[in-house]
Amino acid sequence: MEILPQVLLDGIMLGAVYIIIAIAFSLVYGVMHVIDFAVGEWIMLGAFTGFHLTQWTKVDPFLLLPLVFLIFGGLGYLIQPLLQRVISGHKGNPLLMGLVFTFGLSLMFRGLAQTFFGFYSHSIPSRFSTGSFFFEKGSFFLTVSTVRLAGLVYAAIITGVLHYLLKHSDFGLGVRALAQHKEAAGLMGVNNKRTSAYVYAIYTGTSAMTGVLIGTILSVSAKMGPEYTIFAFFVVVLAGMGYLAGVPAAALLLGVIQSVFLVYLDPGYTLLAVFALLYVILLVSPTGLFRKGV
Amino acid sequence: MRRTKGWATLAAIVLATTANAQDARDYYKVGVVTELSGDLATGGNVTKRGYDLWAQEVNAAGGITIGKKKYPVKLYYADAQSNPAQGAAAAERLITQEHVDFLLGPYSSGVTIAVGPVVEKYKVPMITGSAESPMIWVQKFQYTFGTIPPVNFTGAAAMATLAALSPAPRTAVVFGSNDTFSKATATAFNSALEKLGIKVLKFNIVPEGQDLTPLLSAMKGMRPDIIAFGGHDEELIKLVKDLHQIDFTPKALLMHYGVTEPAFMEALKGDANQVFGGSVWTETTKTSSKVLWKDSPTYAAAALKAFGVAADYTQGGCSAAGIAFQVALQKISAAPPLSDAKRVELVKALEAIDVESFYGRIKFATDGDYYHSNVGLNPLTVQIQNGVVKSVGPAKVAEVKAQYPMTPWSSR
Amino acid sequence: MAPVHKDKRLLGALVVFAAMLGVPLAMHDTFFLRVLTEAIMWIGLALSFDVLAGYTGYLNFGHSAFFGIGAYATSLLMMKAHWPFPLAVLAGAMAAAVAALVIGMPTLRLRGAYFAIATWALARAIQQFALVSSFTGGPDGMRLTAYLNPQYFYYVMLAVTASTFFGLWFLLERAPFGLKLKAVREDQESAKALGLNPTKLKIQAMVLSAIPTALLGGVFAYWVTFIDPGSTLGDLVSDQALVMVVFGGMGTLVGPVVGAVLIFAFKTLFWAYLSAYEVLYIIILGAVIALSVVFLPDGALGMVFRRRKAPEADLETPAGHAPEFPNEEEA
Repeated sequence: MEILPQVLLDGIMLGAVYIIIAIAFSLVYGVMHVIDFAVGEWIMLGAFTGFHLTQWTKVDPFLLLPLVFLIFGGLGYLIQPLLQRVISGHKGNPLLMGLVFTFGLSLMFRGLAQTFFGFYSHSIPSRFSTGSFFFEKGSFFLTVSTVRLAGLVYAAIITGVLHYLLKHSDFGLGVRALAQHKEAAGLMGVNNKRTSAYVYAIYTGTSAMTGVLIGTILSVSAKMGPEYTIFAFFVVVLAGMGYLAGVPAAALLLGVIQSVFLVYLDPGYTLLAVFALLYVILLVSPTGLFRKGV
Repeated sequence: MRRTKGWATLAAIVLATTANAQDARDYYKVGVVTELSGDLATGGNVTKRGYDLWAQEVNAAGGITIGKKKYPVKLYYADAQSNPAQGAAAAERLITQEHVDFLLGPYSSGVTIAVGPVVEKYKVPMITGSAESPMIWVQKFQYTFGTIPPVNFTGAAAMATLAALSPAPRTAVVFGSNDTFSKATATAFNSALEKLGIKVLKFNIVPEGQDLTPLLSAMKGMRPDIIAFGGHDEELIKLVKDLHQIDFTPKALLMHYGVTEPAFMEALKGDANQVFGGSVWTETTKTSSKVLWKDSPTYAAAALKAFGVAADYTQGGCSAAGIAFQVALQKISAAPPLSDAKRVELVKALEAIDVESFYGRIKFATDGDYYHSNVGLNPLTVQIQNGVVKSVGPAKVAEVKAQYPMTPWSSR
Repeated sequence: MAPVHKDKRLLGALVVFAAMLGVPLAMHDTFFLRVLTEAIMWIGLALSFDVLAGYTGYLNFGHSAFFGIGAYATSLLMMKAHWPFPLAVLAGAMAAAVAALVIGMPTLRLRGAYFAIATWALARAIQQFALVSSFTGGPDGMRLTAYLNPQYFYYVMLAVTASTFFGLWFLLERAPFGLKLKAVREDQESAKALGLNPTKLKIQAMVLSAIPTALLGGVFAYWVTFIDPGSTLGDLVSDQALVMVVFGGMGTLVGPVVGAVLIFAFKTLFWAYLSAYEVLYIIILGAVIALSVVFLPDGALGMVFRRRKAPEADLETPAGHAPEFPNEEEA
């Protein structure tokens, strides 16, 4: 039983990574009602960019985060009109078509990454990656690495910033209005196209920054995308699609479940359990644990 | 409209793949089926380097000498796309369209197993310079050979070396990713440990690519002497990073494949030092040969010059596969193009060869569990020391002493 | 609707089918036969995917699961229970049909996007199950006794795909079933008002989509002689079928065929002659599908048919095309 606190702590650390993967993704769903299949690829591209920038400029990746945000925010802003066109079409089911479009994007990004970044795995070095905090008392001990703690801090900051943006700014007001009722918001003077574009840009920028973080904590490779996409889906479904407040709780819960499984049960079944759980939750409560999803 | 499109596409394919008749030629057509794209592209490209280097070197000398003439080799690549079905199609294309004389094989075991029946059917010999799963050889494919023995042949050796170090390790933890090769590796480690009387505290096969931190933190409390892991490059990198993050340094960390890959050292820098690995060849292994490269350092230098990347044992194994064919062809004086009868002779010649190459001794087993894999090699235990891979066991062939126990991460 | 013997498109399809029957007699090139066999398999997979995607409006990202169930069922029955091949394949199809029924009932209640994620999650769970179970061979996969007869497999694959095509033609284009599905796709509430039972129809569509997929999976297993969770239960089948259907034209039968032939031909030519640039293939594929969705919402087929369209709706209209007057602006 002495390892339980460590298991929980590790679960929270895993959850921290999941928060940042899922939070911007949930925002995009809430506003544009599009499930972005390419979320893992945005993360991957951000990770590679962070890796190469760090190598080139020798600056710590944490300091490069704002730059990565700007680059990918800009990219997202440029791509968004295409997505907008797809989801506002009259043909077929526009939202499903949005999903297919982002799926195409994810294939393209993965191929581009393999072409230009190669097949090898990398790691982003940072002065935070070495070092950990260690607490021991008798047979009870707790270890947490600095870099994961930094990840938790980052998650808290991003969540805080987004919260502030959405609840306490005019822009945020517009975004929330748009998410609630597109036409009425338009009548109130909210520019759908522009606001959506900004939201998407925030999403791509944040996801890319997350990629850099993941590159320092874990690793970077051209095929890392899909596993993060599925975790983003999982957290967002658990939290309730579009319900941002649910994301931290859902992400931490997922992290703890994984951690418990890895340690106390047979780790080989971890993914099986995770996917089966995702499926069952979708059946039982598609609007999420808190039943506040869209 | 659909009809016209259909016929047009058919016509295009037909015209484009017009079979060429088997006329006399003065070079060997060598087919290569490997994973140039898809999930296993990293490994596939390593094999490509090995095969390319062999072809380059052979052709630099003018070709393979049969009688009084020299016949150069030309490689024809087909991508298996990391997919067994595609691998089988690739092999069939090379055999029936390109009419290759013989084949060099894939990186992964799955693709090799799918290609096996195809080369059996057409009776075209194939040697793979990679593919270490024991599964392949129990299928007893007559026309398939491998220059690297399976992990259940090599896995035990690394453990034996570790067990002999002092202070003797008493406990161990073994993990493996849930894919064919890694699982076989972990299983081999596990049985070796049990035979050596070292207590295995935990043995788990985990899903691929998982973040193992919770598992490792929990294991930290057990303070195992050895951590043994079977997995691919990305997982190996994550494992070492995780161990550093939770600040746990076992006495010995053993991984199988990937340790010798340059990407591993490049990603981990100082942390990669003192990690143990299993191998069958390193750049400094003492070998002596009369074929192509006279010893390991010569090959290593040639590889570095050609690709700017250090050669690992998979790349070496692939070049050795070419050498095996070369030697066998010379033995039976088979000039291109190879007839069906000559190919049957070639298989017999391969079964009989016993030659020293830069890679070591090449001798394929002709029965048992290791049927047609190269049992002439000596499994080595290697360790990364100061950014260079060195062999530290078995005692007879060790170049240097092992650095043991590992220096804690924080002291590096 | 024209009577069967006068339906020009059906006759055209029959002529092509007859021609394809003759191919192995004229062509002895085994590699060519292999390529065609695979092309035929993809046509079948695209068609079955379209039943649920195009006609019913549900994207089943777990489509691969049916393929894998067929493949594994066939392998297990043939290798462990020594069943003959035809029986094993049929049993695999039945297993998939049952699975579709069981999965469909709860899952089809979900809305489009949720359904897509749910099916994807379930398919991944099934793949994990195959990976951790020892009776399936785990990550090592399973080997089947090799029977390498290209003509045999060509005909078997052709038989499955042709029966799928003609069967679907009858059910979806000539019988009211197709119209009913489209009604459900367009507006479930109104369909209910018309007296249709959307849930029952959706489940039927899913079962109809599962059967050919599993049959093809079973044939595939015996044909390639080796299966593993990666190649049969991974996303490849769903992803490629999706691309082929979207590119070709959803909600029709000819669309998936065209999409499958074009994409597969492109892929094969790329693979055979440009394998050094294999990575470019994924980029191009991704770009094609992204651009198709934006600029060619009705697929390649829609691009051709748009010019011929008459103001009133006709059965062959690609998905989502409500009757439009010629002056209406395209979105």
